[in-house]
Formats: sequence, C-alpha cells, structure tokens
Amino acid sequence: MLVISFWAVGIVLIIAQTTLLEYLPLWLGRPDVVFVLVAFIAYRFAWIPGILLVFALSWVLDVVAGIYLGLYPLVCLLAFTALKTLTNKSPVKESTYQIPLVGLSYFLSQIFFYFVNSILLPDMLPEWSWPGALQRTVLVVLSAIPLFILFNRLYEYIQKRRLRGKPPRRRSQRAI
Amino acid sequence: MLITLLLVVGLLLLAAMLGGRFGPPHQFTLDFIGPLQSAVTRTFSGIVNLKNDYVALLNVRAENKQLQAQIDKYLTELGEYREGYSTYRHLQELLGLKDKLTFKPIAARVVGKEPAYWYQTIVVDRGKKDDILEGMIAFAPGGVVGQVMHTADNYSKILLANAPSSAIDAMVQKNRTRGILKGAGEKGFVLQYVLKTADVEVGDFIVTAGIGGVFPAGMPLGKISKIEKKQRGMFQEIEVEPHIDFQKLEYVLLDPTDRKAVLDSMNLSPAR
Repeated sequence: MLVISFWAVGIVLIIAQTTLLEYLPLWLGRPDVVFVLVAFIAYRFAWIPGILLVFALSWVLDVVAGIYLGLYPLVCLLAFTALKTLTNKSPVKESTYQIPLVGLSYFLSQIFFYFVNSILLPDMLPEWSWPGALQRTVLVVLSAIPLFILFNRLYEYIQKRRLRGKPPRRRSQRAI
Repeated sequence: MLITLLLVVGLLLLAAMLGGRFGPPHQFTLDFIGPLQSAVTRTFSGIVNLKNDYVALLNVRAENKQLQAQIDKYLTELGEYREGYSTYRHLQELLGLKDKLTFKPIAARVVGKEPAYWYQTIVVDRGKKDDILEGMIAFAPGGVVGQVMHTADNYSKILLANAPSSAIDAMVQKNRTRGILKGAGEKGFVLQYVLKTADVEVGDFIVTAGIGGVFPAGMPLGKISKIEKKQRGMFQEIEVEPHIDFQKLEYVLLDPTDRKAVLDSMNLSPAR
C-alpha cells in the first residue's frame, strides 16, 4: 500500500514537473521535485521497496524526458544508495540533516551527470555553470521543505491506517 | 533477495543504456503518461488563457492602436516580400528547379515539457498512429523547433533545437556563411565554426543550411545577438537568439515527408 501510494505520488510529481512547473518564470529555473522524492524514499523506505520505487519513477521520467536512456535512473539509484548508506544507523538520519543532505546529494548528482555526459557525449556537452548548478540546488532545497512535510504526513497517515486495519493479536493460551 | 534485485535493476539499466532503443516498455510508459500530461496541460492552459483574456481586456484600447500601427508596417513589408518572392519564383523557374514545398505538416499539441536544464525535450500528442517517425522535423511558423526523438503509438518526444545535445547545420542568410548551430539551453543557440574573416553582424538572420538532408534549407532559426572575437583561435564566438520562444510552445507542426525513409535507404540516417 505504502509503495503504491508513493508511486502514485511520484507519477503526480512527474506530471506536475513536466506541465505545471513550465509556467514558472524562466529566470527562477525549475526544481527537480522527483529527486526530492527519491531522497525521501532513501530516508524512510527499506532497501528493496526503495530501489523498486526509485527505479520505477526515474524510469518514467527518463522515458518522458530523457535524451540518453538509462542515465537518469542511474543517477537516481546512485543518489538513493549513497543517501541510504550514509543515513543507515547514523545520526545523520535526524531531520536536521535531511534537507541539507538533499541539497548536497543533488549538487553531487549534477557533477556526476556532467561527468558521465562528458564520457558518453563529449561533442554534445552543455556548458557547465557553477552559479547555475548552485541555483538549481537552492531550488531543490527550498522545494524539499514543504514536500518533505507533505511526504511525512502521507507516510504517517498510511502507516496509521495500516496499523488500525490490523486485527489485534490474540494472547496465546500459555500467557493466560 | 537484495542482491538479486540489484542485479535485475542493474541489468535493466545496462540494457536501457547500451541498447539505447525506445522499445515497447518505453512506448507503453509514454502512452500511459501522455494522456495525463495532456489533461493537466489542457486544464491549466484553459485557466491561464481565461486569466490572460481578462487582463488583456484592461489594455485592449491602447494595444489596438499599437497593433494597427504594426499591421500598417507589416503590410508595407509584406508588399516588399511579395515582390521579392515573385522575383525568386521567376528566377527559380528560369533555373528549372522543382518546387520543393511538398509536405503537408501535421499539427501537434505540446502536452508536456521537461524543464530540467539537461534535457530540453517536449512531448506532443501525435505518434506512430499519425505516421510520425523518429527523425522527423518539428517546426512552428517562426522556424525550427527540433526533431522527433522517440515515438509511441499516440505520443512522441521531441528534442528541442536549443538542447545542449542538438546541433544543426546553419548559415547566415545574407551571405550564406556556414556554421554549426549548437543548442545552449536557456541562452538560445551558439553558432560555431564561423571564421573571424567572415562578414557577420549583430542582427543577421540565421537559417538552416540544408546539409545532410534532415532540415530543408532556409528554415528560420534565429538572429545574431552577440559576436565576440577573441585574440586566440580562428573562429568567432556568436550567440544567436532563437525566433521561437521555446518556453511558450503550445503547438508544433511535424513534417511527415518520407525524409527519414529516404535517408535510411541511403544509409544516411543521423545517429541517435
């Protein structure tokens, strides 16, 4: 239920990113909201459902917008793995560090993306811009704040419903 | 279990990256997302249009006068262009050239745009069922929009001409100086490989050169907005402002001529 719900949220975000965000002013740029969801999945989901979700969502965005097929899922899976490894049983998992870590991982992802592009498509390499990369990172960090609140609420709501739906365990004869 | 999953995902990724083919799973995904994008775009653009219409009413009188003046100016210009066109047709007939304007373009609505800096792609609501093929060109009344990159049954993805991975053979309209027009994202285009000795000025129009057979010659691309001549190197650095506002694209026209089939038969298809 949790995985399906967040997959649906991801699809809504992909559609919003490829339609509604286009109406934002050009100078402002556009946040990569799907990446924010990838980071949230890394914080809150276990390895297997997390990988499934991240792959399924990044695959869809790759099909809808990608030029070199497979590159965006690769970047997202690497970001997921890095965040998951870093936050697993570590104080970095605390909510104080979550948003800055989203920014850091997004910034590093852009560098990685550029690096892979420079190997695969050296003739078609776009111009690298530090201010541009920083601006996009700031946008992702700013959009991560409300989105994380929203994702957390949805996550907790689904968890509560799931717990409520489960019948209480019967005590065994021995315990009585 | 985790290792198996990682292996499966890794293999899928590898297949997608190495194959580079837009196979049935990709096409199914595009056909699944396309209608959703279309519904959101239609609804939202309807609301935006309603708001714009209301705001436009407030300034309609002043704008009317301004537009009337512009119409007068354009009618004068149109007269000059008609004269130029008839001279061109006459000369063309004299040279015995065939009229090459054979295609009947198919209109397609833009249902999705990828705003990320790296991609610069759009999704349109025409696909294989409308005889759209990968490699076909997309344009608008203002000039070249891009090239069809991937197609599903009902939707297609177009690589915009201003994408960093796009390169078009172009020329300066006034003196046929050739160069390669590379996409520069939000900055528009950069015209490369134009010698420092070439006579180019800010405001000159850039059109397609027609080399390679993908784009017919003479399609408008943009006009020169900045020229820089550095001491080192043989070439000038030329920035080009696109004629098309890629941000505001709502409809595009697709060229359904069998250009791709011809290129394939000649084994000249551009690498994708």
